[in-house]
Amino acid sequence: MSKILLVEDDEVMPKIISRILPEPEYQVDIAVNGKEAMQKLEANNYQYDLIITDIMMPYANGFEILSKVKSHDREKPIPVIIVSNAGNEDMIMEGFKLGVDDFLKKPIIPAELIIRVKRLLMKR
Amino acid sequence: MNTTFSDIWQEIRYFYFNAPLAIQIAMVFIVIAVSATVIAYLVILRSRYRSYRRTKQLQKLLPKIDDLLINEILANPDIPQDVHPSKIDLPLAPFESLPLQKRWARVAMTERIIHFRSNVKGNAGALLRNLYLQLDLDKDAARRLKSPRWDNKVRALSEYVSLELPISDVTLLPLANSRNRELRAAARQAYIKLSKNEPFKFFDSVTDPLLPWDQVELFRIITTTEDIAIPNFARWITYSTNKSVIAFCLKLVVHYNQIAAVPAIIKLLDNRDHYLRGDAINALGKLRVKEAEDKLVQLYNTQPMFCQVEILKALGRTNSGKYVDFLRNEFTHATEFDLRKAAARSIARNSGRAREVMEELLATTTGQDLLILKHCMNPLIKY
Repeated sequence: MSKILLVEDDEVMPKIISRILPEPEYQVDIAVNGKEAMQKLEANNYQYDLIITDIMMPYANGFEILSKVKSHDREKPIPVIIVSNAGNEDMIMEGFKLGVDDFLKKPIIPAELIIRVKRLLMKR
Repeated sequence: MNTTFSDIWQEIRYFYFNAPLAIQIAMVFIVIAVSATVIAYLVILRSRYRSYRRTKQLQKLLPKIDDLLINEILANPDIPQDVHPSKIDLPLAPFESLPLQKRWARVAMTERIIHFRSNVKGNAGALLRNLYLQLDLDKDAARRLKSPRWDNKVRALSEYVSLELPISDVTLLPLANSRNRELRAAARQAYIKLSKNEPFKFFDSVTDPLLPWDQVELFRIITTTEDIAIPNFARWITYSTNKSVIAFCLKLVVHYNQIAAVPAIIKLLDNRDHYLRGDAINALGKLRVKEAEDKLVQLYNTQPMFCQVEILKALGRTNSGKYVDFLRNEFTHATEFDLRKAAARSIARNSGRAREVMEELLATTTGQDLLILKHCMNPLIKY
């Protein structure tokens, strides 16, 4: 079972992602803002196989989560996928500079997300 | 009890009819004021209660809608994957449990479908659009589009755009020229987003000037809309009778680097409106049309200062080095500060021999001219 942390302040996206990445193959933990995501990471001692995060969120944005995750374990960092409305060039560049593994612009194609998630989990 | 009320009423009447006129008038005003206040409070209470009840109802309804949308539409294994989503008969029976005969529920359902579509696209997005149509929610939007109220029309247009529903030109074009700014902007946005073949046809029918704010909005819509067929804007530069449309098309030509429009822009240099000539010169400079330099220099002495400044800037942008001496001449002999500044900036921007000219000018000029040169050489100042 792969453990995924989904950080998203929109109420619809977690419902969709939880449904397209179903149990028992995936266990999706949901955080509704950056602060809660940081707390969940600390509480679970960064034991996640994948993080899917939005960028624009209250308290801490997706880039802050990304930096924290990538700096926590430099040897084998948790793969991160950004799924965001804010997909302008600068943001995509910033994301890749910080080490994001994949970038999806909303609206997403659910089947595409599943493939990208599986690909990153297989690499890990 | 009845006797008591009757007694009080008799007493009020007696007091009222025996009171002086001023008191009678004051009493009437007091009664009106107190009644109006009571009615206002009752209306506020009623609307607050209704909105509280609606919130409660929505709190129950929205999770049901979400579950149905996810289980019956997005993640339903019975929906065939190999058939185009628009041709699938969706399972509508589960949606009959929702109170969709009520308008507020239909509005909530529509908003939820739009919200879901802002999160998913592809087959899933098309299935949601199909559901919207099969539930006949589009009829509400069509009704709103015919409403005399502009805010209803704007809501309907936004629904049409979000769900990519086609609207006929006959309906949309009059709205694109509406006197109401919000409606006009929404209709133009809808026209550009929904018309796949000729998204800019409304440029042909715009009679009023495109206001600067309209232009900013349109520019944003045009440049951020995906899968839009970008035409050659030379068509409107040549034939439009609306000067603001021509000026706007010049900006679009520059943005899309439409070199094919250059002959149409050069023709504009003979236009009688000097603002349009200025815009055309500006566009030629930004497109770096070296072939236009001779004509620009030839026109220079007959132009108003606004156009002269644009010509000097254009010579800097084209950066051919051909007219460095002309620029030096203007810098040293022009009496207007703006002309000297534009000439200096263009010399600083030119490469090759312009560097030698700049060094020579730096060594020979003094006072204000030297300050202008140093200012223009600052790379942090945008040209």
